[in-house]
Amino acid sequence: MSINSRWLRVESDTRKLLMKWLVALLVPVAIFTFLWSGEAIENNVFLGIVAPATSLYTSSAVFYAAIFIVIFYATVIALAGYLVAADSDRRNPIEVWIDLLFYVVLPMLYIIVTSNLLIGLSLSAITWGIYFFARKRVRDLLHYNPPALLEEVQVLDEQQKANMMNRARAGGFWFATAFAVISLIVDVIFFLSGSLPSVLLIWVIVRTILLPVAGYFLGQLGGSVALKRVITQNENGNGNGEKSEQRGFGWRRNVAQVSKKQQLEHLSKSRAREEAKDFVPNDLPLQSKGASRFYLTLLGLVVLFYPVIDPILFGSGTKGRITSYGDLGYYVILALGLNIVVGFAGLLDLGYVAFFVIGTYAWALVGSTQFTVLTGIVTNPQFVSWLFWPMIIIAALIAAAWGVLLGAPTLRLRGDYLAIVTLGFGEIIPAFFLNLDKYTGGINGISGIYRPATPCIQPFFCVDWNGFDPTPYYYLILVLIFLCIFANVRLRDSRLGRAWVAIREDEIAASSSGINLVNTKLFAFAAGAFFSGVAGIYHAAKLGTIAPTDFNSNDSFIFLAMVVIGGLGSIPGVIVGAVVVYAINLLILAQLDTFAADPTNFLHVFPQYIPNFTFSNIRNLLFGIILISIMIFRPEGLIPSARRRRELHRAPDAELIEVGALDEPPGSAAFEAEVPVE
Amino acid sequence: MELFLSLLVVGLATGAIYALIALGYTMVYGIIELINFAHSDIFMIGTFVTITLEGLFGITSDSPPKSITSDLILRLVLIGIGAFLVCALLGVIIERIAYKPLRNAPRLAPLISAIGVSLILQDVGKLWKGSTDVSFPNLPTPSIRVGAINIDSVNIFVIVIAVLLMVGLQFLITRTRIGRAMRAVAQDRDAAALMGVDVDRIITFTFFIGAGLAGAAGCIYGLKFPNTVFNIGFQLGLIAFTAAVLGGIGNIVGAMVGGLVVGLITSLISLLPDTVLPHGGNAWNNAIIFAILILILVFRPSGLLGQQAPEKV
Amino acid sequence: MSSKQVKLGGESRPAVPSENALLELSGVTKRFGGLAAVQEVNLIIRPREIVSVIGPNGAGKTTVFNLITGLYVPTTGEIRFDGKSIVKLSPDRIVQAGITRTFQNIRLFNNMTVLENVLVGQHTLLKAGVFGSLFRPPYVIHEEEKARERAVELLGFFGTTLLERQEEYVMNLSYADRRRVEIARALAANPKLLLLDEPTAGMNENETLEAVKYIRRLRDELGLTILLIEHKLAVTMGMSDHIAVLDYGRKIADGLPEEVRNDERVIAAYLGRQTKEDAAEE
Repeated sequence: MSINSRWLRVESDTRKLLMKWLVALLVPVAIFTFLWSGEAIENNVFLGIVAPATSLYTSSAVFYAAIFIVIFYATVIALAGYLVAADSDRRNPIEVWIDLLFYVVLPMLYIIVTSNLLIGLSLSAITWGIYFFARKRVRDLLHYNPPALLEEVQVLDEQQKANMMNRARAGGFWFATAFAVISLIVDVIFFLSGSLPSVLLIWVIVRTILLPVAGYFLGQLGGSVALKRVITQNENGNGNGEKSEQRGFGWRRNVAQVSKKQQLEHLSKSRAREEAKDFVPNDLPLQSKGASRFYLTLLGLVVLFYPVIDPILFGSGTKGRITSYGDLGYYVILALGLNIVVGFAGLLDLGYVAFFVIGTYAWALVGSTQFTVLTGIVTNPQFVSWLFWPMIIIAALIAAAWGVLLGAPTLRLRGDYLAIVTLGFGEIIPAFFLNLDKYTGGINGISGIYRPATPCIQPFFCVDWNGFDPTPYYYLILVLIFLCIFANVRLRDSRLGRAWVAIREDEIAASSSGINLVNTKLFAFAAGAFFSGVAGIYHAAKLGTIAPTDFNSNDSFIFLAMVVIGGLGSIPGVIVGAVVVYAINLLILAQLDTFAADPTNFLHVFPQYIPNFTFSNIRNLLFGIILISIMIFRPEGLIPSARRRRELHRAPDAELIEVGALDEPPGSAAFEAEVPVE
Repeated sequence: MELFLSLLVVGLATGAIYALIALGYTMVYGIIELINFAHSDIFMIGTFVTITLEGLFGITSDSPPKSITSDLILRLVLIGIGAFLVCALLGVIIERIAYKPLRNAPRLAPLISAIGVSLILQDVGKLWKGSTDVSFPNLPTPSIRVGAINIDSVNIFVIVIAVLLMVGLQFLITRTRIGRAMRAVAQDRDAAALMGVDVDRIITFTFFIGAGLAGAAGCIYGLKFPNTVFNIGFQLGLIAFTAAVLGGIGNIVGAMVGGLVVGLITSLISLLPDTVLPHGGNAWNNAIIFAILILILVFRPSGLLGQQAPEKV
Repeated sequence: MSSKQVKLGGESRPAVPSENALLELSGVTKRFGGLAAVQEVNLIIRPREIVSVIGPNGAGKTTVFNLITGLYVPTTGEIRFDGKSIVKLSPDRIVQAGITRTFQNIRLFNNMTVLENVLVGQHTLLKAGVFGSLFRPPYVIHEEEKARERAVELLGFFGTTLLERQEEYVMNLSYADRRRVEIARALAANPKLLLLDEPTAGMNENETLEAVKYIRRLRDELGLTILLIEHKLAVTMGMSDHIAVLDYGRKIADGLPEEVRNDERVIAAYLGRQTKEDAAEE
């Protein structure tokens, strides 16, 4: 394959696009590389390869860090190619730059300044909330309406597709080149000022040559991702291709006559805009599905390699951070589980903590000396530690079983009542564990809970779960989170998921379409409880001790806040919600308290003048204000699912009747008294 | 037997307080079909307001009054009115800020907002009077001999005052114009609006009365019980709500009856010894009340006295 | 195709009870408190019939539908479908038995697409449970694919309009289209008996003619039995095999269209009320 020189000469409109996206992407990448540690990582990797003694990394760290760096920059360059190819260039560059400022640059700066990923991310989330609010007001004030999004999707012919690929290559190439040049200049300055070891000059030269070449090919990669989301002229059929041509007779043949293109032509404005977002070229390539692939790759990488890159990004204190991320992890699982109950099925569960407690005790009672107290059988700790793995499923199933037990009589109740009843569960279940101290250790709880065990194959794979290294737990929770997200997505897009949405929309219609209301709700409840159980057993094993006083109904509210703030029913949303809530709950407030204790800090005025004031004390106050504000101003949450945003913001239509949850199941005597069915 | 009778009286007194709180739940539910989660926290604020007002009047824990004088009674009445008004105002503010904007939102939204208000009030309580128990000033409560038993006179007071308030409420609902408007809005909001009723004002007024009663309940609670704490609303809320449901949610008389019944049950539960339930009846109080709630909701959701709204066909 | 129960001027008892009847109502009564919305109604529907229930407003027609579909439980009386009693079944079990319905006020799932609405209609035909949804074994993938194909096919019954809008959110469709989607959703469950509650309400003359055509096709091409509530007498007269007339909860006539049209009691029940209503509708 010879490199075609045609694409090096860019037409003027491509130049505009290039300017737009190069600036947009170079700023964050430059910040990451030079202000933060991108530069440090690559330098140390190179040193690690060539002159291991001078590098800050161990050989294994070099390996992982190298992979991280390569994939990271490759993804960004490919993204550049994608964006240049996919943009329809109708949107003002300034708008794009401002967007990127808030969504990427600001979080990075927060993280760098606070030196803490979670605090930085939650500050960002809070800023976003304020930004949405302020932006709306400012726009109203300036009478500015963002240009209406593309309502039609361009149909491309072969020539246009080739142009798109050219643009992608150009985008990748020029971005990589620009970045190479900037890096070169910076490194030369460093070298001249003496801070760069001469050995690294080799790397600088190699890199400056390598990057533009890589840019070409990576741009092509970005372009091919873009091309997958393009509508071409000779597309026929509606997904089934040739199959439906010959099938059926009479009216069944109608199916073959309608193509995807025709469908798009007949969509209403709002729907067309939604579809247009996924196809390219479009107005918001940053938000398109193709771009999401890139983001998720980046995110996955950062999360996967985090224990290795944390010391580089933040310096010392890695262990403490990873421990807290391990705890954050189980918050995420709880959020995902509650998301099924509240977000998918629309059941307000205020006692979610009950199932979490059941999960913790399930392992604690088996995996500790308490088992001996209960049954009189003495167990071997080494052996029982292996049982942790099957117990994950078993504990979760026990929690789910309790979900069914508690849900069966109560899920026929309507929303408000269900909320109160579940609130009761959240109180009563921990009380059970507290009062039945003969079996559960009562108020002292259970300590010395066994850790998990894994096979130890020296020197390849030997994990120490008992030591002070939190890394195994980090990866364990990552795996669990991944499985939970997987389960969530599968459930959402299934027959069951559709039934849940139907129930949320209109219970009478759902019932009359063949959906058994109680069973379907019960599944949601049990599924949520299952996840809660998983989180519970993880927590018990990681912490090693539990006590019933650790949990109370307040926690249920915190869990609810995670889902509400993040976005009901939205999987990325509730994950962000979990991060925000966890950060506020455990990190930010504690940090603020430390500041406030210092008499020289301005925050000291608060405890000085307000009695009983600590930042931890006002935690509920903050959450309360946040919950109310979100409900009033942005009920769909920070990162809403598309469906929710539609549900909550559509224009009121006189024809549509708002149907809420039913008091009584249809068919019962009380139903007819309650509901007029016309 | 004596034990039983005196427990009966105590139960009625406690029940009367529950009834006053339950009324707020039932009134708000009847009119906008929302369970006001924050209602019991308004009660908590009421208890705190009572303590503060008592302090202003010179009644404190350090220098409790020695005997019942008409002066004391007058002050207590004023304090009660004060608690009523402060909480009533609080209820109105809450309704305006947190519930009114969400009146047309899907049902989940005002519920979550109510939870938010509850959280806020709890922390306000924490900031105001701390995280631990706060004691009411001890009031003199001579024992009265009725028949074969000794009763603390405070129980009589509590019952009398509560009954007076409930009678007053019943009068308001059934005999006054605004009460009629309240009933109309509760039955059919649109029809009431068409008849010229200012629905917004009526809803606000309902909150005013309901929250005010919670405040009064807080004051009365202070007469009888020794302590309050910032999350007492949470503890009592479940019980009061059970009372409202037991009597029939939306039904004013039902809430009164339900409260008394629940009060009696609580008294009886405290009798249960260690042998029946570990740690004795008191530790299981919440669990038992809660179990009753579930049983009612599952088997007879309309409660003892059924709904006030007629069947919609 | 003609009914055996031609008896005018009063209630008709079925000529031969339960003989090859698909749906049979016997003495069905429904009281709400003191009010009897439906009293002693008998009705027989045979397979592949198109039967209309008509009557002035408030006569209890929708209540009869609600009784059949399990939303209400009769105070007394029996309802048999295919020989078996369905009186105690919940609405979802009744769908499984083979009866689906549409609603007078159109109850679609507004925030779902046309296709998704019809997919929900197939809920009883699909077997994926929690495990099936999580692990997606081949049978689940297969059945989802088939379900999609079938849903698209059903939309095609109405021509190409719905097919073109299959990814559109139902709330953005025209009124006539929404009616069609609701019927498609009801068809998705593969029913034997379809209950249509005022299927031509709010339609102009052209749309009504369209609707009559496809309702006929539902019986002719899909082999369905159809029970419909209809206010437009021209529609019912032209389409029905026999017509039952309700007034104040009682059945006052049941027979062939010509006979019902000329029945004195029917005319009396409508007199004064009908002219006003028709005028309002036009």
